[in-house]
Amino acid sequence: MNTPIINIEHIARVYDMGGEKVHALRDVSLNIYPNEYIAIMGPSGSGKSTMMNILGCLDTPSSGIYNFKGLDVKEMDDNDLAEIRNREIGFVFQTFNLLPRASALKNVELPLVYSGVSRSERRDRAIKTLEEVGLGDRMQHKPNELSGGQRQRVAIARALVTKPSIILADEPTGNLDSKTGVEIMRLFQELWKRGNTIIVVTHEEDIARHAHRIVRIRDGKVESDTTNPQSAIA
Amino acid sequence: MKISEFFETTRISFEALSSNKMRSFLTTLGVVIGIFFVVLMGWAINGLDSTLDKTFNAIGTDMLYVDKWNWAGGRNWRNVEARKDITYAQALEFCKRIKSAEVVMPQGRAWGRQVQFKNQLLNGITIMGVPHQYALTPSGNVFQGRFFSQFEDMNSADVAVIGYNVAINLFPDSNSLGKTIKIAGRSFTIIGVIEKRGTFITDFMDNQCYIPLSSFFGIFGTTGRSISIAIKAGSEEQLDEVRSEAVGIMRAVRNTPPGAEDDFAINESQAFREESKTMRIAVYGIGLGLTALSFIVGMIGIMNIMFVTVTERTKEIGIRKALGATRTSILIQFLTEAAALCFTGAVIAFVICSIAIYATVKIFDLAFPPYIPPALLLIATVVSILVGIIAGLIPAMRASRMNTVDALRYE
Repeated sequence: MNTPIINIEHIARVYDMGGEKVHALRDVSLNIYPNEYIAIMGPSGSGKSTMMNILGCLDTPSSGIYNFKGLDVKEMDDNDLAEIRNREIGFVFQTFNLLPRASALKNVELPLVYSGVSRSERRDRAIKTLEEVGLGDRMQHKPNELSGGQRQRVAIARALVTKPSIILADEPTGNLDSKTGVEIMRLFQELWKRGNTIIVVTHEEDIARHAHRIVRIRDGKVESDTTNPQSAIA
Repeated sequence: MKISEFFETTRISFEALSSNKMRSFLTTLGVVIGIFFVVLMGWAINGLDSTLDKTFNAIGTDMLYVDKWNWAGGRNWRNVEARKDITYAQALEFCKRIKSAEVVMPQGRAWGRQVQFKNQLLNGITIMGVPHQYALTPSGNVFQGRFFSQFEDMNSADVAVIGYNVAINLFPDSNSLGKTIKIAGRSFTIIGVIEKRGTFITDFMDNQCYIPLSSFFGIFGTTGRSISIAIKAGSEEQLDEVRSEAVGIMRAVRNTPPGAEDDFAINESQAFREESKTMRIAVYGIGLGLTALSFIVGMIGIMNIMFVTVTERTKEIGIRKALGATRTSILIQFLTEAAALCFTGAVIAFVICSIAIYATVKIFDLAFPPYIPPALLLIATVVSILVGIIAGLIPAMRASRMNTVDALRYE
C-alpha cells in the first residue's frame, strides 16, 4: 500500500489532574492510508475522545511519534497546529458546532477565512460544497432555521470546503434521530466513494458497521484493529 | 493574518455588536461622553481663538493706548485709581513730542451715557470724542456713510458716527444715516455707522458713538476726566520702539520722578491674549479632566463587557480555533470588536456634538462658528480606537489563550 497520511507509533497522553496522573492513552500505534473509511470505537472512558483530539491536532501526545503527511505533529506549536487543522482536517462534531448567528453559507466559508482565500472565491467554493451536500436551497438560513440533519450537512460541507486530507467525525449521528442518522452515514459513504479519507469516532456498533476498518480502543490501548467484512466495499 | 481575514474579522465585529445593540450602546456610552467632551472642548478653544483674532484685528494689532487704567487686571486697583488723570494738555504735549508713531491722537471717553432718537432711549453707550484721524485706525472703519472730516472736527460739528449695536437697536429696520439723535441734550446728525467689531468678550465696542473731540469737550468739558491717547505704530514690528518712546515721553510730560513706577498704562490688544490664556487653561483643564474621567469609566465598562463576551462565546472561540484560527486571529478578532465598539461610540458622539454645537450657536446666537476642526475628529477617532484596544487587550488575550478542546466542550 501507499504511504500513510497518519502514522502513529506508541503514543501516550497523560493528563495532570491536580497532581494525579491520568493515562488517557497508554500505547497506541496506528497507520491511516488515503481513502480509508475507519471507525474508532470504544466505550466512554476508553480514551477515544483523547484519540480523536490527537488525530485532529487539537491536542498533542505526551510521548510517541505522530506524523501527519510526514510532518512531526508532536513538535508543532499552536500556530502550526492551527494551520494543519485548517488545511488538512475537516471536523464534524456531534453537536454540529455551527456559529449560531451566521448563515449556512457563512459557516461553510469560515475555514476559508482562516486560510486567506479571497471573498469571492470563498463564496463560490462554499456554494459549490453546500450544493454537493444537497443544501443548495438553504444557504441563507441560520442554524436555528435548519433541521438537525440539515445542520449536520452544513457541518459536513464546512469540513469538506478546504478539501482536507481527512474528515474526522466525532459521533456524527449522536444528536440525530435514526432515520436522519442513516442519511448522514449514507452521505459519508458517498464522500468516501469520491475519494475522501474518513475517520468516524463512535460508540455505536450501527454506525461503525458502515466503516471498512474498525479500531477498538479500551483502557488507552488498541484492543483490536480489523477490517469489516460486513461493509459493502464498492 | 491575511488582509481578507482582517476584512472578514471587521465585518464579524460589527455584526456581533449589532446583534446586541442595547448592550453595545450602553457599553460605549462612556466613550460617547468622552469624545463629546473632547470635541466640545476643541470647538470652544477653536471658537475662542478665532474670536480673539477678530478682536485683535478690531482693536488693531499695531495699536497702543496710553491710558490711566490698565485693560487687563492683576494690579492693585487702589494704586491705579489713585493715579492722576491724564489731562488734555498732557495728551496734546505727548502727541506733539512722539516721533516714531504713524498716527497719534487724544480721545475722550464718557461711559454709560444715554442716546435718544425721538422718544426711544438707549442706555449704557460710551461716547467717544475723537479727532478725524480716528478714521485711519481699524476701529474707525465705517460700513455705512463716512467718518467726519477735518473740517467738521475743527468746527465742533454736530455729527456722529455710531457703533453697530447702536444702529441695530435704534434703527432696526431703517437707514440711520441722516437721522438726528440726542447725546446729553445736544442733537447730532448721524453720518456713518462703524462695522461690527465686537465679539462675546468685546461686545462694548459696538455700543459706542463717535463725535468730534471738540464737540465732546463742548458737552462734557475737559476737566475731571482722563484723556487717553491712541497710537498707531504702523506695524507690529514697530510696537516695541513706539512703546518705549511713549513711556519716556509720558513720564516726562507727567513729571514722573525717576525710579517711580509709571503712573499710566500702555494698553494693547495683547492684553486680551493674556486674559484669554486663563480662559484657555480653564477650558483645557475642565475638558481634559472630564474626557479622561469618562474614558477611564468607559474603558472599565468595555473591559467588563468584553470579558462577558469572551466567556459567552467560549464555544465559538473553540469552533474557530478547531477550524484553523490562530491565537493571533482570535486576539485580533476581539480587539477589533472592542475597537469597533469605541469607534461606534465616537461616531455617535460626533453626531450628538454636531447637533449640540449647532443648536448652541443658534439658540444663544454665539459669535463662535459652529465648526469642528477635522483634525480634532481624526484625533478623537484614533483615541477612541486606542481606548478600545487597550480595554479589550486583556479579555482578547484570555480568548486567544483558551484551550481549544476545553472551549469546544464548553456549554
